[in-house]
Amino acid sequence: MRRYLARRLLWALIMMWVVASLAFLLGRLAGSDIIAQRLGIGADPALVEAERHSRGLDRPWTVQYFSWLAGLARFDFGTSAYYGRPVGDLVVTATRNTALIATLAFALAVLVGLPLGLVTGSRGGVFSAAIRTISLLLISAPPLITSLLLVWLSALSGVSPIGGMTSSTAATTGAGFALDLLAHLPLPVLALAMPFAATLERVQSEALARALKDPAVSAARARGVSRRALVWRHAWRLGAGPVVAVCGLMAGTLLSGSFAVELVTAWPGLGQLTANAMFGRDIYLSAGCALAATFLLSLGVVTADVISALIDPRVLNVDPESARTAA
Amino acid sequence: MTTRRAVGTLILLGALIAGAWFLLSGSRAPTPRHAGQTPVTALVGTMRSDPPTFNRFVSSTFQTHLVSLLTQARLVRINPVKQELEPWLADRWTRSDDGLRYRLHLREGVTFSDGHPFTADDVVFSFRAALDAATKSPLAHGLRVDKTPLSVAAASASEVDVVFPGPSGPGLRLLDAIPIYPKHLLQAALDSGSFRDAWGTTTPPAQMAGLGPFVLESYQPGQRLVFVRNPHYWRTDESGQPLPRLDRLTLEVVPSQDAELLRLRAGQVDMIQGEVRPEDYQPVKADADLGRLKLTDVGTALDTYWLWLNLAPASHDQRSWLRTDAFRHAISRAVDRQQFIKTVYLGAAVPGWGPVSPANKNWYDTAVEVPAYDLAQARSLLAGLGLRDRNGDGLLDDDKGQTVRFNVLVARGLTAGEKGVAVLKESLAAIGVVVDVSTVDLAALQTRFGTGDYDAIYNRFEATDTDPAGNMDLWLSSGGFHVWNPGQSKPATDWERQIDELMTRQASTLDITERRRLFSQAQQLLAAHEPLIVFAFPRVFVAVGARLGSIVPAVQRPQLLWSPDTLSVSAAH
Repeated sequence: MRRYLARRLLWALIMMWVVASLAFLLGRLAGSDIIAQRLGIGADPALVEAERHSRGLDRPWTVQYFSWLAGLARFDFGTSAYYGRPVGDLVVTATRNTALIATLAFALAVLVGLPLGLVTGSRGGVFSAAIRTISLLLISAPPLITSLLLVWLSALSGVSPIGGMTSSTAATTGAGFALDLLAHLPLPVLALAMPFAATLERVQSEALARALKDPAVSAARARGVSRRALVWRHAWRLGAGPVVAVCGLMAGTLLSGSFAVELVTAWPGLGQLTANAMFGRDIYLSAGCALAATFLLSLGVVTADVISALIDPRVLNVDPESARTAA
Repeated sequence: MTTRRAVGTLILLGALIAGAWFLLSGSRAPTPRHAGQTPVTALVGTMRSDPPTFNRFVSSTFQTHLVSLLTQARLVRINPVKQELEPWLADRWTRSDDGLRYRLHLREGVTFSDGHPFTADDVVFSFRAALDAATKSPLAHGLRVDKTPLSVAAASASEVDVVFPGPSGPGLRLLDAIPIYPKHLLQAALDSGSFRDAWGTTTPPAQMAGLGPFVLESYQPGQRLVFVRNPHYWRTDESGQPLPRLDRLTLEVVPSQDAELLRLRAGQVDMIQGEVRPEDYQPVKADADLGRLKLTDVGTALDTYWLWLNLAPASHDQRSWLRTDAFRHAISRAVDRQQFIKTVYLGAAVPGWGPVSPANKNWYDTAVEVPAYDLAQARSLLAGLGLRDRNGDGLLDDDKGQTVRFNVLVARGLTAGEKGVAVLKESLAAIGVVVDVSTVDLAALQTRFGTGDYDAIYNRFEATDTDPAGNMDLWLSSGGFHVWNPGQSKPATDWERQIDELMTRQASTLDITERRRLFSQAQQLLAAHEPLIVFAFPRVFVAVGARLGSIVPAVQRPQLLWSPDTLSVSAAH
């Protein structure tokens, strides 16, 4: 198990380095930078050069890249030209904000998706068909559409703030702050949770239906085990592997931030920060966001791998990537 | 637990969550009118992105400019509604007979927001900061006449002498761009060469001070800036009541224009950053009819989209016809401007011919005629260039047999731009010219412009000043903003040389009538060669929340916050 864990952690570290480096280098080699964008067409060339020089953007990309790598070793992620602040501070705050909605969305998706998957996977009927149809609709709808629809409904009904994390007039500490924050949560949480709940429902349903056909379950049924015990004690456990793997990916994806949901609901998280960094050609911030997002994605995936291994120790002898692909 | 019971529990849980949400939303305080515990004189606006710094001297971004408008003041102000110069921190001035020297008298008893008295030393300090080589200020360019900076000296504690190195048509209008910063807080930074880094976004608000109506109370990156009234602000209204009228002003950071509008329509913000887009007009109008919003037709815009072809010499490009006057005239005449207005602006625009808007009453030359829609003339102009259909495919070919086609770059995400270029493509197809449209992000467009790697660009620029002397970079062939062929060491064409001469003369002429005459000639020359092709100037509509008091919107951004001290909450609310 230790060796397995070490292998997964090494893989995660390599992924973080590769993705962050790609974000940095692609941003650097894209041919335009934040200075060109900020100063606009017709800017004084001397001013453009001075700005580039002051931010080190006129250095060769190799020098810039290795200097950035050296900074990473000291946990110095550079300074964001877009915000004029240290990248580390911005990324930590945004990650915390994203983690809040991601955790709640994940919990909601699991609480809703798994039980519904058990229902649709173990029995037919109109109810199951309706759930299945809704799931397919939610999976097909891009998050942008889902969040815009929710924002529109919210604006129409007026029952919830339609953007941001807090109200400008609310208290900044204590119960007032907590209540205000709570009122802002439903929109982004629902927008994030709905497609994932639907995905979980589908995966759980398929896994259960497959498990119910497993010879071991058939044998248990022949021995007179009740249907309830078959579903909840035997088949559920048999089909848990792919569900846990999907949960891991889901958790990682949710934690690494959603562009669409955070932009539409103006949630100041990692997704919005990454979008601003990319559109603003802010290479240090792009790389910092990529690093944080890959770290969180890896965290989710590695956690899921470990849980899978705990549920089914046979996984330890199988390549996790092929297991996930099979799932 | 049976499955049925599990489902029942889930439904109950869902109902509980929905109930809690409903209760919470009932008790929340989205805007001050529901809150009770917050000041009633508070408004909420939006901005599309964060300011990179609070230091106006080192940033020309709109966001930093907006913060400066709220927290700082200038010696004089150009009123964007009247397009006139107004006394501001300087309440009066005199001019020498030769027009080179101004003596400005500063208002008495004015203090910064931290209580420190405002004197002529602060004025001298601010101009020194703007012109200091280490500051590398984008504002410095506007403080020069013929590349020589104007000089500013204190005549006494309440008087300042401003000396121009040569005659300047705009005169004191140049000072509108310079906010007056507190010497007592920033002198050390300027002396040590670190002024560029002063007042960054990590600077605690308590360490900043200004002469504007508000002070920054807090800044949460990606979320909001909160401003509160400056207790030492120096202006009063007509009835002697102290300004500003608001106790608090919040600017929420809302990156999406759709989300911004939704928030306005839902009553969660009182004003948005820009004007109403044509496609948003109908729903906003419906809200206005129901009394939920106020919709104001501010008038014709001062700026619009320009189409320009790359006229810089390009040896690798064999399409010599692309850089001819006749080709541009043909494009201009092949577009039906009335139809263009209907399609792109849903009827809310007026036809245009060039960079000067009909709304610029002081300077627009009414003698210049907007090119008429005339396909026959367009075809004839192209035929004169030897462009005709040589292979019967319905498209024009040049003398080498190549199809007449060119590429137009347009910035992604701006509907008026994307629609405009679509109409252009369709219009030119009617005369056998192929337009390939490349929709790119703004940064890529700017980079392609900078490297000269483009055929044509269709883009919008914000008007900076209605006075032509404030836009010399566009008119002079040496200007970086002379977009069709920027930064020429000597004029590439005779007409550009003539425009250079006319513009230089008008900028250094003090007689306004003579300036207008010279600028009219420059406009006529430009229209005769059409290096910039303009189809229409849109009308500007501003939508605000119903609880805003009387407003005086301008056509330029920021439409409302150009005068933040007079904004108020309506008595009815």
